[in-house]
Amino acid sequence: MQKSKIDIVNEIVSKLGEKVQIQLGQLGKAAIVTSNGLHRDVFKAMAEADEKTAIVAITGLDLGANLGILYHTRTSNALVTVKAEVPKENPKIQTITDIIPGAVFHELEVTDLLGVIFVGNENPGHFVLTDNWPMGVYPLRKDVNANEIKLNPSPPEEAKTAEEGKLTKIIIGPQHPALLEPEKFAITVDGETVVKVEPRIGYVHRGIEKAAESRTYLQDIYLVERICGICTTIHACDFCETVEKLLKTEVPQRAKYLRVIALELNRLHSHFLTLGHAGLEIGYETLFQYFWRDREPIMDLIELTSGNRVYPSIMTIGGVRRDLRETDIPRIKSTLVDLRKKLPFYRQVYENEPSLRARMKNVGVLKREDALKLCVVGPVARGSGVDIDVRKDEPYEAYGEIPFKEIVYTDGDTWARMNVRLDEVEESINIIEYALDHLPTGPFRVKVPRAVPAGEAVNRVEAPRGELFCYIKSNGTAFPDRVKVRTPTYANIPAFLKTAIGENIADVPPNFVSLDPCFSCTDR
Amino acid sequence: MAGTVTWARVKSPWVLHFNSGACNGCDIEIVSLLTPKYDVERFGIKLEPSPRHADVLLVTGAVTKQCAERLKRIYDQMPQPKFVVAIGACACSGGVFAGCYGVEGGVDKVIPVTAYIPGCAPRPEALIDGVVKLLNALSPPKPKKQPKHPKVVEAPKEEAKPEAPKPEAVAPQEAKPKVEETKPDAKE
Repeated sequence: MQKSKIDIVNEIVSKLGEKVQIQLGQLGKAAIVTSNGLHRDVFKAMAEADEKTAIVAITGLDLGANLGILYHTRTSNALVTVKAEVPKENPKIQTITDIIPGAVFHELEVTDLLGVIFVGNENPGHFVLTDNWPMGVYPLRKDVNANEIKLNPSPPEEAKTAEEGKLTKIIIGPQHPALLEPEKFAITVDGETVVKVEPRIGYVHRGIEKAAESRTYLQDIYLVERICGICTTIHACDFCETVEKLLKTEVPQRAKYLRVIALELNRLHSHFLTLGHAGLEIGYETLFQYFWRDREPIMDLIELTSGNRVYPSIMTIGGVRRDLRETDIPRIKSTLVDLRKKLPFYRQVYENEPSLRARMKNVGVLKREDALKLCVVGPVARGSGVDIDVRKDEPYEAYGEIPFKEIVYTDGDTWARMNVRLDEVEESINIIEYALDHLPTGPFRVKVPRAVPAGEAVNRVEAPRGELFCYIKSNGTAFPDRVKVRTPTYANIPAFLKTAIGENIADVPPNFVSLDPCFSCTDR
Repeated sequence: MAGTVTWARVKSPWVLHFNSGACNGCDIEIVSLLTPKYDVERFGIKLEPSPRHADVLLVTGAVTKQCAERLKRIYDQMPQPKFVVAIGACACSGGVFAGCYGVEGGVDKVIPVTAYIPGCAPRPEALIDGVVKLLNALSPPKPKKQPKHPKVVEAPKEEAKPEAPKPEAVAPQEAKPKVEETKPDAKE
């Protein structure tokens, strides 16, 4: 597919002219300095110019007297950041959810953690913080010592399953056999049809972004990679790349290829996990067991290359921590050959198995327009015909040099989303094989200073679940001033809230698992 | 009668998994236990969805403040006697998240813990070892009675060394049609 050639910065300049101040090359392609109210005009201009305009993340900053709000925005070929500031005494700014509906969750998070009120998108309770967290205390503000906050003694009474006239409310979670992680969804049903879904996230909110400020950059790698135990390598990679941008360090060529190998092994195991989990959710337990059986050789490869099964900890600032032994390459290759031989069976199951098609075809259909509006990422977007893949759009590491296909399906249903992952498994195998064949020689890491020069940097990479975003503000010391991570599941949950409505309640689990939800990513 | 109950509990412990705010690392290793390579159902260990049927509670994660209340409630719902296994460095002590504002920092801050399995994330072998050690601690020392059931009794001796049964058990699991049969067996 042809990528769009729109220059979004020129579009904004031509529409708004002198009103906005443009800082080229900062925080992505450009930073656009606006004020309350004007930021809406910028978003309107961007949304008109480019249909792929989407909010990647909203970062809240404590700037002393003011609170800064950074709207990191993705267009079809660039990342731009719209800046705005509000005074701390009256931290109110107009919402942009009417222009970009996908910004809802991002705004609510900033409200909860930093106290910026988005007029038109308010939430009476807490969004990610615990229910008995005192109102009006914002953990990410610099003057708040979050560890010494006294919680309210008793959390509010939780809503129980109740009949409301004709409608029934069903609570799923936090502990539920279908959910491997604690999170709560209140699903209102009329008979068997879902009418409303109310999520309550925050059960896994540990406060990683705040904790990262009190640790050095090197320590933060190990904290950030524990945001999620499944896509761990990519979290560490994203963080390291962002710090390398601040340090202006160029990673050696061999390290780039080694990183790609580690990232693709991670993607392989994550996709196998999800493909199996989908089998479990539709009651096809054999498929689950098959996928997880074939996932074990991948785990062995991760262990072979890094020494650990779940946490490879292979990324470091300036390269990778371990080199790849020449003697291991034949074993990696033979395992991949075996893995490739199993793929036709799985493809045939997905193509022909009637029970699987019945549970997945036309379930949770997300139309292309909705996918664009809700700013979804990764396989969810690609399953709905939106061709976004950071590996192609903004190649990082060695992805620019490695040939691979971007998988796009247009059906938009659960089946399409799972097929995207199945096809990506094959692409990942291709990428690893290419990288092993073309592995450059030379050093695998460079030494970097402990203290990072003051500045701000953003970076995005393609995690197994979609685009992963990282923002770091440095103050010139060995400790970061602010670390913000926006994870792919956080961007994808609105898609579930949209597609579940009007569906049969029995279709909720397969629909939900097709997003590959990861709540430890979501809550941080 | 009490001896029979203990025997049944040791031979077929039903476990409940609760994620109290973990990063998923330990959780995917617990799921690995149920899948063909490790397959703990051969020891009679079965993952149970309801706390009311469970003997052992496997807790992962550093216990977020939002989850603490719920963890206590799930523990209270389990019938006596109940055992809690804290899995992973976070569940043991808070791990890398110790000091974060959102976490309590360890399962034992909220409910009593019977066994700790450290590691980030603990390997499946370590998990098997931990659960088997817990089960061995539960079974009363009755060496004379055991030879009456030769097949059943041999198993715990091997279980004490968790590495030993692995290579034998992996091979038959490769056979595809066997996988489906595990379900009816476990219910018995």
